[in-house]
Amino acid sequence: MRAAEILARDGPNVLSPPKETPEIIKFLKQMIGGFSSLLWAGAVLCFIAYLIEFSKDKSASLDNLYLGGVLIVVVILTGMFAYYQEAKSTNIIASFTKMIPRNALVIRNGEKYEIPAEHLVLGDIVEIKGGDQIPADIRILTSQGCKVDNSSLTGESEPQFRSCEVTHENPLESKNIGFYSTTCLEGTATGMVINTGDRTVIGRIASLASSVGHEKTPIAIEIEHFVHIVAGVAVSIGIVFFIIAICMKYRVLDAVIFLIGIILANVPEGLVAAVTVSLSLTAKRMAKKNCLVKNLEAVETLGSTSIICSDKTGTLTQNRMTVAHLWFDNEIYQADTSENQKDQIFDQSSATWTSLSKIVMLCNRAEFKSGQESVPIMKKIVMGDASEAALLKFSEVVMGDVIERRKKNRKVVEIPFNSVNKFQLSIHETDDPNDKRFLLVMKGAPERILEKCSTIMINGQEQPLDESSVKAFQDAYMELGGLGERVLGFCHLYLPEDEFPDNYSFDVESMNFPTSDLCFVGLISLIDPPRSTVPDAVIKCRSAGIKVIMVTGDHPITAKAIARSVGIISANSETVEDIAKRLKIPVEKVNKREAKAAVVSGMELKEMSPEQLDELLANHTEIVFARTSPQQKLVIVEGCQRQNAIVAVTGDGVNDSPALKKADIGIAMGCAGSDAAKIAADMVLLDDNFSSIVTGIEEGRLIFDNLKKIIAFTLTKNIAELIPFLIFIIAGVPLPIGTIAILFIDLGTDIIPSIALAYEKAESDIMNRKPRHKKKDRLVNHQLALYSYLQIGILQSVGGFFAYFTVYTVQGFKPDLLLYLRPLWENDSLNDLEDSYGQEWTKYQRQYLEWTGYTAYFVAVMVQQIADVIIRKTRINSVFQQGLFRNKYIWVGIASQIIIAVILSSGFGSIPVLNFTTLRIQYWFVAVPYAIVIWLYDEFRKLLVRHYPGSWWDKTMYY
Amino acid sequence: MTKDEKKPLEQTLGEWKRFIYNPGSGEILGRTAESWGLILLFYLAFYGFLAALFTFTMWVMLQTLSDETPKYRDQISSPGLTIVPKPPGALEFSLNISKPATYENYIDAIKEFLREYEGKKQEHLLQCRNGTFFEQDNIFPKKTCKFSLETLGPCSGLNDVNFGYPDGNPCIFVKMNRIIGLRPQGEPRIVCAVKEGTEVNLATFPKDGRLDLMYFPYYGKKLHNSQCLKSGSFLQESATTIKEPGELSTARSCSPGPVSELQPRSVNRM
Repeated sequence: MRAAEILARDGPNVLSPPKETPEIIKFLKQMIGGFSSLLWAGAVLCFIAYLIEFSKDKSASLDNLYLGGVLIVVVILTGMFAYYQEAKSTNIIASFTKMIPRNALVIRNGEKYEIPAEHLVLGDIVEIKGGDQIPADIRILTSQGCKVDNSSLTGESEPQFRSCEVTHENPLESKNIGFYSTTCLEGTATGMVINTGDRTVIGRIASLASSVGHEKTPIAIEIEHFVHIVAGVAVSIGIVFFIIAICMKYRVLDAVIFLIGIILANVPEGLVAAVTVSLSLTAKRMAKKNCLVKNLEAVETLGSTSIICSDKTGTLTQNRMTVAHLWFDNEIYQADTSENQKDQIFDQSSATWTSLSKIVMLCNRAEFKSGQESVPIMKKIVMGDASEAALLKFSEVVMGDVIERRKKNRKVVEIPFNSVNKFQLSIHETDDPNDKRFLLVMKGAPERILEKCSTIMINGQEQPLDESSVKAFQDAYMELGGLGERVLGFCHLYLPEDEFPDNYSFDVESMNFPTSDLCFVGLISLIDPPRSTVPDAVIKCRSAGIKVIMVTGDHPITAKAIARSVGIISANSETVEDIAKRLKIPVEKVNKREAKAAVVSGMELKEMSPEQLDELLANHTEIVFARTSPQQKLVIVEGCQRQNAIVAVTGDGVNDSPALKKADIGIAMGCAGSDAAKIAADMVLLDDNFSSIVTGIEEGRLIFDNLKKIIAFTLTKNIAELIPFLIFIIAGVPLPIGTIAILFIDLGTDIIPSIALAYEKAESDIMNRKPRHKKKDRLVNHQLALYSYLQIGILQSVGGFFAYFTVYTVQGFKPDLLLYLRPLWENDSLNDLEDSYGQEWTKYQRQYLEWTGYTAYFVAVMVQQIADVIIRKTRINSVFQQGLFRNKYIWVGIASQIIIAVILSSGFGSIPVLNFTTLRIQYWFVAVPYAIVIWLYDEFRKLLVRHYPGSWWDKTMYY
Repeated sequence: MTKDEKKPLEQTLGEWKRFIYNPGSGEILGRTAESWGLILLFYLAFYGFLAALFTFTMWVMLQTLSDETPKYRDQISSPGLTIVPKPPGALEFSLNISKPATYENYIDAIKEFLREYEGKKQEHLLQCRNGTFFEQDNIFPKKTCKFSLETLGPCSGLNDVNFGYPDGNPCIFVKMNRIIGLRPQGEPRIVCAVKEGTEVNLATFPKDGRLDLMYFPYYGKKLHNSQCLKSGSFLQESATTIKEPGELSTARSCSPGPVSELQPRSVNRM
C-alpha cells in the first residue's frame, strides 16, 4: 500500500526523543568521573608495584595484585551503582512522559479506520472532533464549528476557530491549519496530513529546545569543588610523603606502595554512593509531595533557588473561573473562592438576592455532565464555557439542584451570548403557579446591561435608575474590574401577563419582546482565584529570601490583582503607577526607586534593553510580567541569571521549553503541561501547585545541609586512615591499618550511617534564611574541612593509635620498642624478633599481631565514627535539642557499623587478604573514652557557636 | 585571541599574589596576622589537650600491665623455630664445596651465633639437673642454666671451626624461640627428615634433637638476667645439627615435621 511506503520513507509520526547520550558513555562517565580516576591511578600503581616485584622475585607476595583488583572492583561497583541510580531516576520520567497510545480516525480507500496516530502518513485524511488531540499537522478540509486550543504552541489562551480558508501566509497564523499535539475543543473537522513527526511545527520547536545549552547544576559544581579539594589533599600529601620516603632511603617500590595507601586513605570511596542515595531518597520524598525530580541533582538546585518565575494560571490560581464578588443592594459581597466554596457567608436574606439568584440560575446554558452524582460539586465536569460553569457551580452550591429548578422554570426561548450583542437572554415560565407572567432574564457586559435598564432593584423593590444609583454601579464596576475580575451584569423583567399570555409565541429573530427598560438586579464578578495554599507559600518564599516573579499571558490588571491577593505584590507596596495615582503626578515624575513593585507588560518588555531589564530586576523586589509571550520568558530567565540568581521557572507550553531548559531548574506542570515542556524540565509538578515548589525548596535546602553533614562525617575518618601511613613512614612502626581495612570502613561500616544522615530533620526553620550564595556558601567550606580534618580527624587518629598501641603492648611489644622497628618487623627471614619481654616472634606471628593491630585500629575508628555520626546530626544545635532518637535511621546505621565490624572480626575477616583477626571483647572499648571526648568536644563547640554568634569561634568553627 | 588568554593568567597571578599577601587588609594567606595568631594558639591548645589525653590514656593502660610478663601470650602459644645460618631465599641453602665464597657467610653467622655459648661466657651459670624443669618461681634473681657446646657434637665448633661446610657436611642450627612460661610436656625434640630426593645421611645433635627440660621455663627479660638470654641456657636455643654428606646443592631442609613434633601438647603457664 502507498501508506506503508510513505511510512517507510518518512518514519513514524512521533517526535524523536531528545538526543540521548549512549548508555555506554553514561556508564563510562561514571567510571572515570570524580574520585574514580584517583582510584584507577591507585590500581595501576598497584599492578606496576606487583610487576616490579614479580620481575625481581617470582614468588613475590600477591598483596599488591589483590589490592589492585579490589580497587578496580570498587571503582566498577560504585560506578555501576551511580549509573543504576541515575538510570532509575531517568526511568521514572521516561515512563511518565511515555504518551498513552493515541489513535487517529483516518479515511483510506474511502473507508474509516482507527489506526495508531504514529502510523499516520503524509496525505492521510483524518477526522477530528471535540476533545481529540490533533494527531499531526493537518490542513483543514471541512470544519463544523471547530475550535482548537493552541495555547501550548502560540500562547494564545483563547480557543481558536478553524476553517478551511487560508487567512494568512504564515501557517502559524492561518486558520486552516491544525497543529500536532494541540487539542480540538469543540466541533468536528476533517483534514489532510501535511506534516508528521519531527517535521511538524511542534517537532521543530522541540528540537530547537534541545539545542539550548543546559547549565551545570549547582550541586554538581559543589561536588566537583569538593572532589578537587580532596584530590588536591590526597595528591599533595601523597607526593610530599613519596619524597620524604625516598629521602628516608625507602625503596622506590615501597614509596609507591605508601603513595597508594595515602591516596586510598584520602579518597572517600563510599561518598559518591552516599550522596547519590541521599539525593534519590530526597527525590522520592519530593515525589510524594508532588515534585517529580527528573535529574537527581535538581533536588539540591531547587534548594538554592533565589528567584522563581511562576506562571499564573493553574500554578498560582486554581485554573477555573469562580464567583468572587457580588454587588446588589448597593453593596459588594464577597464570595468564598476557596477550593470547595463551603462557606458562602454573604447576606442571602435580601429579596434582591432571590431575584439575582434566579437570573444566575436560569440565564445559563452550562450543564453538569451526567453520571457525576457522587462527585463533589466543585469537581464535577461542566459542559459550557468557564464563566457559565462558574455560575452554575456557584448557584448549585448556594441553592442546590439547579437542574431541577430549571425544569420547574421551563425555558421558552433564549438568545445565546455572542460578541456582537455581548449579552445572553432567556425567557422562562415561573415556578409560581399563581404567577402566569413570563420572566425575562439577561446577563452580559455590565455597561450593555445597564443601557437596557430603567430601574434598579434595591432590597427587593424596583426603583428608578437615577444618577446616584448609576454612580454606585459605576463605582462597584470599577472596583471589581480593578480587582482584575470579569464582571457580569444581571437584569430581569416580568413580562406583563396581558401582553404576553401563556400561548404567546416568542421569536428570537424578530425579537418580539422587550429588551429595554429592564430592571437591573446586580453584578457578579468572576475570577480564577488563587489556590488557597499559595499566599502562605509566597510568604514562606519571602522569608526564605526567594523572589517570586509572576510571568503570565494574562491582562496586567488581572495579573496584578492575583499578585496582590497571593502576596507576590505585598499589601503595602506600590507600583510606579500606584504612586503616580496617589500623588496625582504623571508617571514619568515618580522616583522609580520608591516603587517596590512593578507590573511590566510584554509590550514594554519588548522595548527594554538588557540593561534596562537588569535594572528593573535589581531595583524591584516584587515584579509581575503580564501579557508576555512564552518566548519572552527566556529573556526574563536570562535577565535573572545575569543577577547571579539561581532561577526556577515554571512552564507548561511547548514554547516554554527553551526557558525551562535555560533556567537553573525548569519546572513543568504535570497536569496542564505539554510533553515537550516535561521533557525540557528538570522537575515535574504533579499537582501544578505553586506551594509544591516551596515544599520542594525546603527539601532541597534540607538536603544541602544534610549533604554537608554527610561529607563532614565521611571526611573525618579519612584523616584517621591517613595518619597511620604517615606515622608508619616517619616513625617506622608496624603498619597500624591495612588498605583493605580502610576500604571496609569507607565502603562497609560508614555507608549506612552516612546515608542515615540524609534523614536528619532541619535544625531550625530553613525557610527563614537567605538562599545560598552560589560562590560564597560552598558545600565544603574551609571550616568544614578544617574541623573534620584537623580536629575530629586527628582526635580519631589518636584514639585509633591508642587502641593500636594497646593491643601491641598487651602482647609484649611496648610503644617505645615499636618505634623504628619496621626494618626488623618486616624482615621476612627474621624469625626470632625479640619483644619487650624477651620473647621471640616469628615472621608469621608478627604478621598475625599486625593484623590484630589493623583490627583494633579499625574497631577504634568504627567506635569513634559512632560518636561522629551522632555529633554530625546537628551543626549548631545540641544533639539533645535535635532529639537523639528522632531520626531512627541513625540508629540503624550505628547498628550496621557494629554488626559489620563484629562479622569482620569474628571469622569472616580471617579470609586471606582481608586480614582481620578476632579481638578480645575488652579491646572493642578501648576507643570509647575518645568517642566520648569527641561528643563532648562537639557539644562544647556548638554551645559556643550558639552563644557567641558572629564571634571568632563562630566564624572558625561553624561549618 | 592571545591577548584574551593572557589576561586571565595575569589576573590569576594577581589574585594569588593578593592571596599570599594582601597589602590592603594586611592579610597573609587570606588571614590577618591576628587571625593567624588566634588559629595557631587554638590549635596549640587543642593539640596540647590531645597530647595530654593520649598520654593519660596510655599511662592508665600501662598501669594495668606487669613488667615481667605480657598480659597475653596467645599469639605465640606455639614457639617458632629459627634457623641459623639464614639462607638467602626461602629456606633453601645452596653451596659449592669448591667455592668457599658460597658458604663463608654461613660459617661466620654460625660463629657469631655460638659465641654466646663459649665456655668463658658461661662460667658463672648454673649447672642444672638434666631432664626436669628448672622451676624457680620463688627464687630471685632467676638463675640461668649452662649450655654445654659439647652436646652439639661435631657441630659444636670446638673441633671443626668450619662446621663441616668445606667437607660437604654442613651444620645447620635450628633454634626454638623463647616464650615466657612455656613448659613442654613429654620429651620435646626437633625431628628432621628429608623432604624429597635421594636418601641422605642426616644426623642430629644433641641426640634425636632432644631439648632438655632443664632449660624451661623462661621467666622473661626482666627477671631472667638478660645477658644470659642468648647463652643457650635454654634448650629453646639448643641446636640440632643436620649432617649431610656430599655437596649440598638442593634444598635439604628441616621439614615442618619436627616443628609439630616439638610443639608441646599443652603449654603450662606461669
